[in-house]
Amino acid sequence: MLLRLAWRNILFYKGRSLATFLLTFCAALLLIFYAALMQGSHRTMLHSNLGIYTGALQLQHQRYQEEGGSEHLIFGAAHWVDLLRRTPEVTAVSARLETVGIAASRLASGAVVLTGVDFSAEADLSALQKALKSGVYASEGLCLYVGSDLARKLEVGLHDELSFIGSAPDRGFVAERFEVCGIFKTGLYDFDLNYAFLNRAAFDTLFRTHDTASVIAVALDDPLHAEAIGARIAPLLEPHLRLYPWQELLEDLLQMLSLDKIFGYVSLGLFFLVIFFVVMIYSFINVSSRIKTFGMLRSIGMRQRQIDIVLLLETLILSLGALALAAPLGGFLAAWFELHPIIIEGIAENYKSYGIVSDAMPTCFDPASILRQSALILLLNLLSILYPIGYLRRFSPTEAMRHV
Amino acid sequence: MIRLCRVNKRFYPGEAREVHALRDIDLSIQEGEFAVITGPSGCGKTTLLNAIGLLDSISSGEIWLDERLISALGEHEKSDLRRDRMGFVFQAYNLVPVLSARENIALIMQLRGFKPQQIEARVAEVAQMLQIEHKLDALPARLSGGEQQRVAVARAVAAKPSVILADEPTANLDSHNAALLMRMMRRLNEEEGITVLFSSHDDDVINAAKRIIRLKDGALC
Ligand SMILES: Nc1ncnc2c1ncn2[C@@H]1O[C@H](COP(=O)(O)OP(=O)(O)OP(=O)(O)O)[C@@H](O)[C@H]1O
Ligand SMILES: [Mg+2]
Repeated sequence: MLLRLAWRNILFYKGRSLATFLLTFCAALLLIFYAALMQGSHRTMLHSNLGIYTGALQLQHQRYQEEGGSEHLIFGAAHWVDLLRRTPEVTAVSARLETVGIAASRLASGAVVLTGVDFSAEADLSALQKALKSGVYASEGLCLYVGSDLARKLEVGLHDELSFIGSAPDRGFVAERFEVCGIFKTGLYDFDLNYAFLNRAAFDTLFRTHDTASVIAVALDDPLHAEAIGARIAPLLEPHLRLYPWQELLEDLLQMLSLDKIFGYVSLGLFFLVIFFVVMIYSFINVSSRIKTFGMLRSIGMRQRQIDIVLLLETLILSLGALALAAPLGGFLAAWFELHPIIIEGIAENYKSYGIVSDAMPTCFDPASILRQSALILLLNLLSILYPIGYLRRFSPTEAMRHV
Repeated sequence: MIRLCRVNKRFYPGEAREVHALRDIDLSIQEGEFAVITGPSGCGKTTLLNAIGLLDSISSGEIWLDERLISALGEHEKSDLRRDRMGFVFQAYNLVPVLSARENIALIMQLRGFKPQQIEARVAEVAQMLQIEHKLDALPARLSGGEQQRVAVARAVAAKPSVILADEPTANLDSHNAALLMRMMRRLNEEEGITVLFSSHDDDVINAAKRIIRLKDGALC
């Protein structure tokens, strides 16, 4: 009976019902899409940032992370690379051996992190290959792949000669002349300024190393699982080794992401607040225009509680109806724009330092998040009817009937 | 059946604008009565009916229904008592605009949990008595004022209350419709034995009553 009364009210006051319906529908759709975009841009930022060079996890000697130094290396690296490659969530693994030294051209000199890499493994894991600006990416022999800012600092171009002096893991000195065969630019200034890469074969010959790595970088299909996966693999490692999740390696990034998240939540919160008040004012007008009828119903013996239920049911029906449309549509949009990202020309250029490497802004289709947003809107709508109900309760039946 | 003992009602007690709307009312209404409360405007007719109908609280005194002191009940009980024992007809805004005449009439019976077949039969019965059978599916907005009041009366009597309280039920009607409504209420009173207590200041309507209760300045006279 109460349900029928609620339903009839909805049908009778078509304009009002439609307005509430549309309001809820638009709010839910907007919210779902905004959340998907936020989540998507987050994921993209994380993916591309980690994808530049760091990876989601890094296997290191515990003291290497703290102190560095050529004595804290991973020996027998191939075994660990193998183990990591066999882990299901792992998408790419690359063993790197870094050494610090001084590089000099005819005109300038400076510090450099010379890193021996397997160029083909690196291509799967990092953006090094994609960051190629001129020359070639993978080269053999004494050929270097140099960061663009480092090249500028050392005043070298393609095919110029670069001398290097540094120490080898066996504490010997290494001095060699290289040719600049490729120049890369990732957009991360510190990286482009300090790093030069050499193929592993030449590196091992030169530094007399074998099957050694300072860092084994690991890419995952979902970087957010880094800590959990790290913890899962940890028991298989030798005690002096540790898998560092990106959260520990890139504290800046973590901070930036949480800042971004907070900003997102604040704007969502404001959004919610606006919706809440709009819906509330609307329901208030709705209810107060019907005070006389409610007063009459109270007078003839309907309990206030039953009238409350009618009002709640009205809101519930309209909200659920609107959500039943908005949630699938929002989900569809989220899924669509995940596959066909929104392209905003120029954002990659402007936000390079944030690790955004493309103009595409994909959304993230996450059913759990859609359910959450829908539940929130429903809750908000139900809350927004509480004030009008409270207002109505202040009237005695006769006062309500006399209300103008 | 209904007994009022020294009932007083003051609006804004203690304030400068205090109104003493009912003064020491001692009144008793027997079962099956058809009584009208009359008196000049502002004499307290509405206030008295609202007091008996437990719609407004009284300042002092007692109201009894059968052997039960009903003026001291809590809100919930008052609400349930209105639903179960009383039928109300107001001057206007009697009907739920979103429900058809039939659903309006059935409303109280449904609130009281009557069975659907029972409701259907009873609605048909009262609709016939009040000559609104052909209007049962119409929404209130499609009914004339007289028809609306007859639907209101039908709703009030449908669940067979002990008493019908009607505050100026004919005030918005022309004399023809007013007389018609009074005839029908009187018939209900006689055929179903329902006690009817209503207010009016229209002589034709007053003369249709079996008993006349006169109020002046909140007191019986
Ligand atoms: N809610 C209220 N607040 C304050 N005073 C009221 C209220 N209701 C009624 N009164 C006062 O109580 C007195 C009796 O009013 P009541 O409405 O009972 O008169 P009435 O006999 O029904 O008049 P009418 O024939 O005009 O309907 C009047 O002086 C009126 O001003
Ligand atoms: Mg009155």
